[in-house]
Amino acid sequence: MEDVLTEIPPPSRFFQEDLNSFAPPSPPLPSPFLVFSNPKPNEPLCPSLLIVAISSPSLYVFHQLSSKTLIGSLILPEIPFSGNSIEPSLGDKSCNIYTPSDADDSIIVISVQCSIAAERSNVVAKLLIGEKIIPERVLILDSVQSQSFRGKLSPDETFAFKLETSSERKGLDDSSLLKGINYFPSGSVVDGLAAALLGRCQMRNIKGTLCVSWPEFGGAAVSLVKSLLQRNVLPGLDLSINADGVVSRTKDDSFDSELYT
Amino acid sequence: MEFVVEEGKKPHDQCSTLLLPALSIGNVGQLAVDLMVSSTRAERIGFFDDPFLLPCVGNDAYGPEPQGQLALPLEAYDSSSNALTLVQQRSPVVKGKIVEFAKNLADFAAATGKKHAVVLSSLDFGRCRNIDLSSGLQTYYLSSTNSDGTDDYCEQLGWKRLQEYNPTQRCWKYLSTLAEGNALQDDNPFEDELEEEDYYPSLPFAALFSCFKAKGLKVTCLLCYCSEGDNIQDAFHLAEAACKLLGLSPNNFHGNEGNGWLIPYSWKSVYGPPPDMSIF
Repeated sequence: MEDVLTEIPPPSRFFQEDLNSFAPPSPPLPSPFLVFSNPKPNEPLCPSLLIVAISSPSLYVFHQLSSKTLIGSLILPEIPFSGNSIEPSLGDKSCNIYTPSDADDSIIVISVQCSIAAERSNVVAKLLIGEKIIPERVLILDSVQSQSFRGKLSPDETFAFKLETSSERKGLDDSSLLKGINYFPSGSVVDGLAAALLGRCQMRNIKGTLCVSWPEFGGAAVSLVKSLLQRNVLPGLDLSINADGVVSRTKDDSFDSELYT
Repeated sequence: MEFVVEEGKKPHDQCSTLLLPALSIGNVGQLAVDLMVSSTRAERIGFFDDPFLLPCVGNDAYGPEPQGQLALPLEAYDSSSNALTLVQQRSPVVKGKIVEFAKNLADFAAATGKKHAVVLSSLDFGRCRNIDLSSGLQTYYLSSTNSDGTDDYCEQLGWKRLQEYNPTQRCWKYLSTLAEGNALQDDNPFEDELEEEDYYPSLPFAALFSCFKAKGLKVTCLLCYCSEGDNIQDAFHLAEAACKLLGLSPNNFHGNEGNGWLIPYSWKSVYGPPPDMSIF
């Protein structure tokens, strides 16, 4: 039985330092920055669509995309490079920026393969949207966060919800990026980088959609994300992957694909 | 902090009172503001972009049937018929930035011509020294009207001034200095040696009180003691106190049945999903 005295409280409850005005702030960190192989480094990139993959299933889908081209990276000084490989790998702690295909640079994909602290999320979101990258539309792919979700979450069920900015919602039904996906239920929240990105889109009046899928890992979730992308977002792109080979992992796990078939 | 006006909306000049929560035990202030926004049918007029708030997003918290309007960490609602602007805060403040956040809110209130700020907050019942249960749930207050924190009207309403308010106490004085911009929080001399009497001025409501007061606004903090648990009733208590203070009657909130209170849609799941009955 859980010990109510020592059990970590649910996130709606506060730790003492959350309510202490005199708590010292965390030591400041150096600012994150973007590096690009952009031939025009002084001009912002203006994609028609920016896709930010945060959830493990979406990271897996885009990692398998063989036609993608690496065009840059977000560098977070607090994330060490040790353990990363020379060629981008799913096990790297990295935040790489790609175009899905050489022929078309109107879409940019950012694969967020490292955990970004909540306190850093706003500054990262500001860096990714509205300064060096000015997208017309944004799609963020994350997972339902069980600690912030007030509904039932069954490991046997696979589903997705969405949240949209006002400018995305005010278009006609046909123009919504993710048609047929229900809105995230009221009373639950999404936090972290995904929330910071969508909030930034709202503030800047950019069309933005956040899609949260469940479960967090596994072949079923990968298949769901893949089908959402193929049906609504990237219909012309070859997203052939073998979802049966997907194993459960977190961003903190090391991953060796040769151990699994 | 930037205030972004919602498209097609504009703030109402007649909303001269600002009602807002302070983060506190049981989230009571936030629940009370939820109840007030829902019951007054206040309309969202904008949201804030503040670097000191942790990010969060969700679906519309109020309904009647959420249609996907994006809920953000810090939002402003106007109820022009009640001359009230309500600010709702949904996420915590970055560690060590509570006073700066409070200053930002005070700057907003002053810049938008607010005359009176009402801060709703709970207090930890475990810290209460003078337990008096004879008259039910007691409302406490702290006001900028008099230098000792008292206010005649609040006294007439039967409320008690927060005894732990002592403007000459070191932490209350330090907070006041911070709020007036005469010190940097980096120079905090107390962070390693907070004592019992430093507890109340360390709470978020105290930062808001000091910052609004420093801006020359009238500020009233409404407080009630509670414990962690089902804090819905505590939220009702504070919301009712706010209505009494402002001369509002929930029965006059338009279109609401019964006692005038309209439960926010998001409260249906405030304590999570119902238990899985299939295990029985």
